[in-house]
Amino acid sequence: MTDRTPNYIHFSDYTKHIPENIPVAVQQATNRFLGNREARVAELPNWQELRQVAHEIRLHTLENLDFYLTQLERQVVQNGGVVHWAANSAEARAIVIDIATQHQVKTVVKAKSMASEEIGLNEGLSEAGIQSFETDLGEFIIQLAGVGPSHIIVPAVHLKKEEIANLFANKLGVEAPPEPVQLTAIARNILREKFLKAEMGISGANFLIAETGTLVIVTNEGNGRMCTTMPDIHVAVVGIDKVVPDWDSLTVLLKLLARSATGQKLSTYTSFISATSRGSSEGGPKEFHLILLDNGRTRILHDPLGRETLKCIRCGCCLNVCPVYKNVGGYAYGWFISGPIGAIFTPQILGTHIAQELPFASSLCGACVDVCPVKVPITEILLHLRQRVVEGNQHVKPSAPLWIRSAGKIGTLAFQIPWLYQLGTRLLPFLTAPLNKRGWIPSLPPPFNRWTRVRPFPAFSARFRKWWSK
Amino acid sequence: MKILQRLDIEPIFLPNQTCCGQPLFNSGFKNQAKLIATEFLKTFGVNDYPIVSPSGSCVDMVVHHYHELFPAGTPEHDLCKDITSRTYEFSQFLVNFIKITDLGASFPHKVTYHPSCHLLRGLGVNQEVYQLLNGVRNLQLIPLPEAETCCGFGGVFSVVYPDVSRKMMNNKIKNILSTDVEYVIANDAGCLMNISGGLSKAGSSVKAIHLIEVLASTGGDQ
Amino acid sequence: MSNTNPIIDNIRKALNRLPNDTVSNKPSILKPRISGSQESELDMLIAEINKLSGFARRITIDQIESELLNLIKVEKITKTLLWDTPWLNQFNARKFLESNNIEIIPNNSSKDKLAQCELGITEADFALPETGTLVLLSSQSKPRTTSLLPRVHLVLLNPQVVVPDLHQVFASTRDNPYTVFITGPSRTSDIELITTLGVHGPKSLYVWIIC
Repeated sequence: MTDRTPNYIHFSDYTKHIPENIPVAVQQATNRFLGNREARVAELPNWQELRQVAHEIRLHTLENLDFYLTQLERQVVQNGGVVHWAANSAEARAIVIDIATQHQVKTVVKAKSMASEEIGLNEGLSEAGIQSFETDLGEFIIQLAGVGPSHIIVPAVHLKKEEIANLFANKLGVEAPPEPVQLTAIARNILREKFLKAEMGISGANFLIAETGTLVIVTNEGNGRMCTTMPDIHVAVVGIDKVVPDWDSLTVLLKLLARSATGQKLSTYTSFISATSRGSSEGGPKEFHLILLDNGRTRILHDPLGRETLKCIRCGCCLNVCPVYKNVGGYAYGWFISGPIGAIFTPQILGTHIAQELPFASSLCGACVDVCPVKVPITEILLHLRQRVVEGNQHVKPSAPLWIRSAGKIGTLAFQIPWLYQLGTRLLPFLTAPLNKRGWIPSLPPPFNRWTRVRPFPAFSARFRKWWSK
Repeated sequence: MKILQRLDIEPIFLPNQTCCGQPLFNSGFKNQAKLIATEFLKTFGVNDYPIVSPSGSCVDMVVHHYHELFPAGTPEHDLCKDITSRTYEFSQFLVNFIKITDLGASFPHKVTYHPSCHLLRGLGVNQEVYQLLNGVRNLQLIPLPEAETCCGFGGVFSVVYPDVSRKMMNNKIKNILSTDVEYVIANDAGCLMNISGGLSKAGSSVKAIHLIEVLASTGGDQ
Repeated sequence: MSNTNPIIDNIRKALNRLPNDTVSNKPSILKPRISGSQESELDMLIAEINKLSGFARRITIDQIESELLNLIKVEKITKTLLWDTPWLNQFNARKFLESNNIEIIPNNSSKDKLAQCELGITEADFALPETGTLVLLSSQSKPRTTSLLPRVHLVLLNPQVVVPDLHQVFASTRDNPYTVFITGPSRTSDIELITTLGVHGPKSLYVWIIC
């Protein structure tokens, strides 16, 4: 599962054995979301303008991040909240467990939070003897099943209703007919009991508004509201890159988020949380803790191009358009975040020595760049990271194996020296003549068979230069 | 060449040219690619004529990535700016520079068009191709389903992850076969190599050809 | 606190910024949407809510009691939560419901007691027609739980609260401790992409615009 950080991400191996149901289910989801999104985009004639402003807002925030985080902290404390800073996953987990232990928390209800998956929070809580329940229906299902998400918005989309019914029957001990309405009702009842009993609710945040110290949480189910209303203690774990300067800026991002993610105009519930209720019967928690997570984001900030990765608002649209992701699903990317954004986020956070296969997990088609609401230059960053893998930079040694790095240097010579290149164009047709079958080379020895396994290679001929010299 | 002759434009082929460096650049060997790109600049710096290429991805490399290799302060910077400003993909050159869409071509066949990613998204060249195809007599153009989805070539991608590349290629072939055409047109050597290989493997008689071959045709069979 | 915060220090190092550096110019924001006539705005609001499987319509003050009676029957209501506001109190809903054997649970009851209610009645502080969104600010007399726990949420809406764009809403709500935007009933498509209503929030959303 995604609870421990991977030692190495074997994208290549994972993609060799994809169960059929995953791409099929993923493609159904992505097609639905994209179809809806198209209708939404058509309704807003200033869509491209919105994207440009959103990009500017996000970049501006990152370029002044120290200012906005300082403002945010001041405001949250003024509102009666407690702010904690976590340099890495282990620190963040420790802070959550510390708060829980201090308050003798036995049960936690969790709203969907990618940051909490990033730090492996569920496993940490479980090791500390604290029961933690995912409350987003899809996350609840995969928590029961013990598997990771196949899509960041609909994590259990690859499971059939019969499988889910069996899961409920086996793990929850309830009679579960394989119908979504009944299955949802079962989950509602079980989780309702947890919401009412839990001493602590844990959430992430979609945005943090620096101006007023406000958390913005977006859900369709209402579990975000439940987790941040019913328990007496609310803890939010949020990446430092989620901060937004003010409400005007937020408006632009809210107009883009749901439309880009699922093609809804707005998600069902958007909560704006600026204070604890301090025991008043407004009906909210008595204590609020905000844990701001670094975990490598400040390191990414050093790199002006890599920095743009942090503009991401986690809409999932890049996943929906990516032909690579749609054919392999979420697991292949080895961590909690997948698709094009996963291919650039993971290597920068975990390091290219762990995730060096990911920057190459793309045909560079650029479909993601076209749709990203905040204009993350994904293909440029992929190329940037590929260089980091094969050539290294002043901070990082190249992690690619020696034979690949040598192949690069040899290839350069072949293209760099004109007489060598011309010799090649004359020699290759001659050398490959025995393999030539009616204009095709159906198979080649390894490593070239990586091409011919899939399709034949066109035979070499030096036609053009010969013809030209005539 | 036939087309250029028809238009009375004299093509010059510089024998020292090798490669724009894209395969190395895209594989991450940016420093190595720079060496090749330097040769490219030197070769094409001998005159100031427009540089035309039949490959969208090569032109995209020159126009959009060369400036990364030769930023302000490098000795080749000005030369790079000059060359970048006069490098065109062929259909871009015909429609936007020469300003012609009717080349007197005739191609009496049922065809469909696959826009290569670098041409479509990299260079933003799409409606130029349709304008040129419109000018071809006797041509029957069938829209390709999921036309803008990548064919799975992606350069080094096709050999680093052949299984994923295969799935993408199969999807593209399936869509092409569903149109029941005789020819599929593409503008990139990589796409053509991938798609024609896939068609051959599928045992199909559909042929993959470059747009230029269609534009050069004057009625007979290829 | 922030003087010795290593994360903030790292950020400053990464960005080449000093502690007292000011913020560079913020990008300018696009202009907000302009309103149509009140009638067309209300029509849009009703249409959007109903597209999301809500039940929105205009009713007159005289119709409130008969509609409430119908709602209680159809949705099988026995216990209700009710906001305590001047706008709502003018309709005397409390007295009417009690006279029809509906128990009104006090807002400061225990969580379990609150959760027993099938119906929650609120007003809305603002409404956004473009997205069919209701904006609810919470306070002691307008608790969060009223629109969250029961399976039926009824909003008696003042047509004057309709505003054209998010910008206008935020100008008024930004300093509120807790605000929620409600756009349709609770929903999910997590199971095989089939849309199901009433996951954790209300399954049924009724919006009666009192004209």
